[in-house]
Amino acid sequence: MANKKFDVIVVGAGHAGIEACLAAARLGVQTLMITTNTDRIGYMSCNPSIGGLAKGHMVRELDVLGGQMGVAADETTIQYKRLNSSKGPAVRGTRVQNDKHLYSQFQKDALYNQPNLQVLQGEVKRLILENDLCVGVVLQDGSEIFAKATIITTGTFMNGVMHIGLRQEAGGRVGDQASIGLSDQLAQFGFEVKRLKTGTPARLHKDSIDWSKTIPQGGDEKIYPFSYRSSTQLKLPQILCYLTRTTELTHDIIRGNLDKSPMFTGIIEGVGPRYCPSIEDKVTRFAERISHQTFLEPEGLNTDLIYLQGISTSLPEETQDQFLKTIPGLENVKVVRYGYAVEYDYIEPTQIWHRLETRTIRQLFLAGQINGTSGYEEAAGQGLIAGINAAHSILGREEFILGRDEAYMGVLIDDLVTKGTREPYRMFTSRAEHRLVLREDNTIDRLADIAARIGIVSQESLDILGSLRERRQALHEKMRSTKIYPTKDIQALLATIPSAEMTKSLSFEELLRRPEISSSHLEMLNFTVDPDPNVTEPVEIEVKYSGYIKRQMDLIQQSKRLEELVLPEGLSYADIRGLSNEEKDKLQRVKPRTLGQAQRISGVNPSAIQAIMIHLKGHKKLKEISVDGQQRTAGADDILARG
Amino acid sequence: MTFRGDRDKDTVCAVSTPHGVGGISVIRVSGPQTFSIVSKICTFLPAHPESHRVYFGNLVSTNGDGIDEVLVTYFKQGKSFTGEEVIEISCHGSPLICQTILGQLVQLGARPADRGEFTYRAFMNGKLDLVQAESVLSLIESQSQQAAKLALRQLKGQLSSKLEEIEDDMTWILAHAEASIDFSTEGITVVEDDVVQSRLRKIEAGLKELVATFKVGRLLKDGFRIVLTGLPNVGKSSLLNTFLEDERAIVTDIPGTTRDVIHGDTSFQGVKFTFVDTAGLRDEATDLVERIGIQKSYEAQNESDVVFFVFDIEKGLVAEEIQILDSLDPQKTFILANKIDRLGGSEPTSKLTETVEKALKNSKFFQKIQDPQAFFTRRVFFVSALDKKIRSEVLKELVKEFADLQVENTVLVSNARHFENLSRALENTQRSQALVDQGMGAEFLALELKESLIAIHETLGKRFDDQIMDRVFKEFCIGK
Repeated sequence: MANKKFDVIVVGAGHAGIEACLAAARLGVQTLMITTNTDRIGYMSCNPSIGGLAKGHMVRELDVLGGQMGVAADETTIQYKRLNSSKGPAVRGTRVQNDKHLYSQFQKDALYNQPNLQVLQGEVKRLILENDLCVGVVLQDGSEIFAKATIITTGTFMNGVMHIGLRQEAGGRVGDQASIGLSDQLAQFGFEVKRLKTGTPARLHKDSIDWSKTIPQGGDEKIYPFSYRSSTQLKLPQILCYLTRTTELTHDIIRGNLDKSPMFTGIIEGVGPRYCPSIEDKVTRFAERISHQTFLEPEGLNTDLIYLQGISTSLPEETQDQFLKTIPGLENVKVVRYGYAVEYDYIEPTQIWHRLETRTIRQLFLAGQINGTSGYEEAAGQGLIAGINAAHSILGREEFILGRDEAYMGVLIDDLVTKGTREPYRMFTSRAEHRLVLREDNTIDRLADIAARIGIVSQESLDILGSLRERRQALHEKMRSTKIYPTKDIQALLATIPSAEMTKSLSFEELLRRPEISSSHLEMLNFTVDPDPNVTEPVEIEVKYSGYIKRQMDLIQQSKRLEELVLPEGLSYADIRGLSNEEKDKLQRVKPRTLGQAQRISGVNPSAIQAIMIHLKGHKKLKEISVDGQQRTAGADDILARG
Repeated sequence: MTFRGDRDKDTVCAVSTPHGVGGISVIRVSGPQTFSIVSKICTFLPAHPESHRVYFGNLVSTNGDGIDEVLVTYFKQGKSFTGEEVIEISCHGSPLICQTILGQLVQLGARPADRGEFTYRAFMNGKLDLVQAESVLSLIESQSQQAAKLALRQLKGQLSSKLEEIEDDMTWILAHAEASIDFSTEGITVVEDDVVQSRLRKIEAGLKELVATFKVGRLLKDGFRIVLTGLPNVGKSSLLNTFLEDERAIVTDIPGTTRDVIHGDTSFQGVKFTFVDTAGLRDEATDLVERIGIQKSYEAQNESDVVFFVFDIEKGLVAEEIQILDSLDPQKTFILANKIDRLGGSEPTSKLTETVEKALKNSKFFQKIQDPQAFFTRRVFFVSALDKKIRSEVLKELVKEFADLQVENTVLVSNARHFENLSRALENTQRSQALVDQGMGAEFLALELKESLIAIHETLGKRFDDQIMDRVFKEFCIGK
């Protein structure tokens, strides 16, 4: 390789690595991606789908902030679904099935066509450190590459071990070698490195399945693509998924073979995700349930592989064969690849700052599963933030942090760096305390200005964003100012909905607040809405739920007071009276930026926050006195005497 | 550099028993230096005293002068009221001895404690929750037996444990609401609406009950504020003296003698009553001072819990008095027909009663009364300031009506802050029920529940909010 000097090196080509590279390169810094296997760029190691509850939100946020995942998912969608569509607007989530090969190909093309970005196949063995500054990496062949910032996105590959039954082999994914050395170096440097576990189900051959015993599941007709740049007409043909269920016999077989499970025999020490349990876990923990649902999901348009959603397992091959055949439709199933579990190293994420730079090694950034998260979307979100911050550190710009009231991505990172994690962290809508204002439909309103400010998106994209927002505002304004009068005709039309008679004239905004009225009814009442659902739906939601949205905004304002109270750097918690030793330890470790963040550290009680506040108020008073020109050292009693 | 945080590391001392001469006084010392300071004047203490043990000996000044024979109780750090190392010195109850001992302690490095500082420290060290800390304050300040009992009940955590029960139910629903959102794709029903509704009803009932006790709770804590009102020279000041059992107001025959608002406290059946005598209300008051007095009378009426409207039975209810009555709220008004003694007896004749009833019936005041019969029997008294019995007769009725004291063992809300929070939580709960009925999304239910949890947590001090803490601890002289 000719050039041995870059601005940013990204280690890894998964969902985090792709976003990190593209963000850095799009901000104009020279970027190098290093991956052990260029054939597996943007590979979906587990389920062939993007999005889901709270995850769909993050894909949209990424998209507005110049990320790549949304477009790639839209381009390769083979089934579209909006989850929770019957529930309120804030908790609806988009999920799509993807052709995983086309997805990977699309991402590869994006990387190869991106200016300022090069891709290199190789394995990074260690970091080059100058004291506490990371200045580059050493490859397996001993060659050195230097960079001003390094981002590690190695996923499940750091000291990865795969388990099938009681057999183990090194590796982060079937067919790919583990990455050895990096985490040992970090551990030697003093990082707390721990183990997590994840798993994946078997892949089945589609011709061996008796589809007549399963229930076909179609996608939605109405499409709200992830990206504001995508068309509402999907490119690829849409496929069906199929529903079937485990049986009591399935559970009996699994229970009878737990002695062959690496999870239950204690071979795996890493903690697995509570929220995405293996079938062994499900059967044991929910023993009263006689059946669990599973979806058979095609991995693409031109593949024979079927992904068995919800049945991840690390039982031996013969046990998998045995229990799978007890599931209706799978009586004669042929397994192409068996399920397995992966154990890997992660860095306890309280050791990184919000900007995803580590606290102890400067210019070293971590993103994705290495920080203890699970999921493509969580990884991608961190990749983008790390990429932007790595570039910013080189360009001399200030750090880029999203607030908990701005984006799920803000919630994700704040949770990680504040609370740490002991199990693979997955995003949920319930993690966002300001959920009602963090909706999919208002992503553009939340983040477009931020995207413009950091200059990561093209002028063309900014124009689309601007136009969408203008059309939304215009429609809302028209609803406010246009009146509907209680004529006989109108009353008759209302009766057909049915909606109560009007007693006086109303604006269309007021009419739309009636629970039974939706924007489609407005058309019937001669009020034209925008045909683009990306325009009309957000306005409708703002109107209908304005009362609740306002209350949520009030709560945000309340919490802002504490968020704005920035804690001085180097605040010595050991000196603060009223803190327990445990609280002192935790505060000293997390070093919260604000009093609001301090309050979110688990195990730090409200009384501790009070103590910090009183401590700080004392400082402030002292400063005020010296500002007055009183040079003598003021004692506490003097301060108190002044009232 | 010294700052507020350091102040909390001081060892503080104060006399914990009331001021003045008593049998014994207790001096409390709390803080990290407690033992090292006290052991210098209580040389009889062993090097490693046992917690909760009493030691007897001579307290000797640093000069070697004997001061008093004392009992010293030692509390280990973590096992005391404040959570710090504490010593309580029981000495003989003379202000001089107390001052001398305090002087010695301060000389050795202790600092006189701020008002409420022991409680503050207990809260900071997690020994009390916020409700309990507030009750300690109420207990210290309670001016009547009932108020003290109430404060004690709260200190024992009765209100807190009731609130925690409600909190549990709210958290349960919230967890299920959240699960029904985030796990909707798992193909399971997390919780049925009617189960949620029944829990909500339980929460609503609990909150309603607590909110309803506020009126009584506040009256028990702060006592009744009773304003005497009426035309000049109908005998308000004489009645005040009767109620207070002392001669506080100047009584003359000259109308308009009382120009300012006169206060007086008394206690009856363990409840505190604050009486407020006001200037008589008359239109022809020309004197500026008197007119200001009348203005104050109206203000006092508005701020009162109960109004005693006094008139001269000899003269009957005159038109001006009907006017005054019309401006009053019947809910809090008692009518005292005064000077019954002038009519030569202590009991009103039926003719007299009828005349008063007749005069009243034409008033707007009367039209606002919901149950006139009950009003006449319970709220109209024929009295004489000379008859000492009227005090108990009237006050008994008043207590019966406003503060049914069958509350010995109920949890009462007596603090305005708690009342506001719980009322808010109740509103949220009622809206939650409507939301479930309407089939609105679980995310809105979750918002209502979170808001009501915030209200409960604020009450219990489980949630930090600088403004609320400021409000509570203002009374503790903290952060000044």
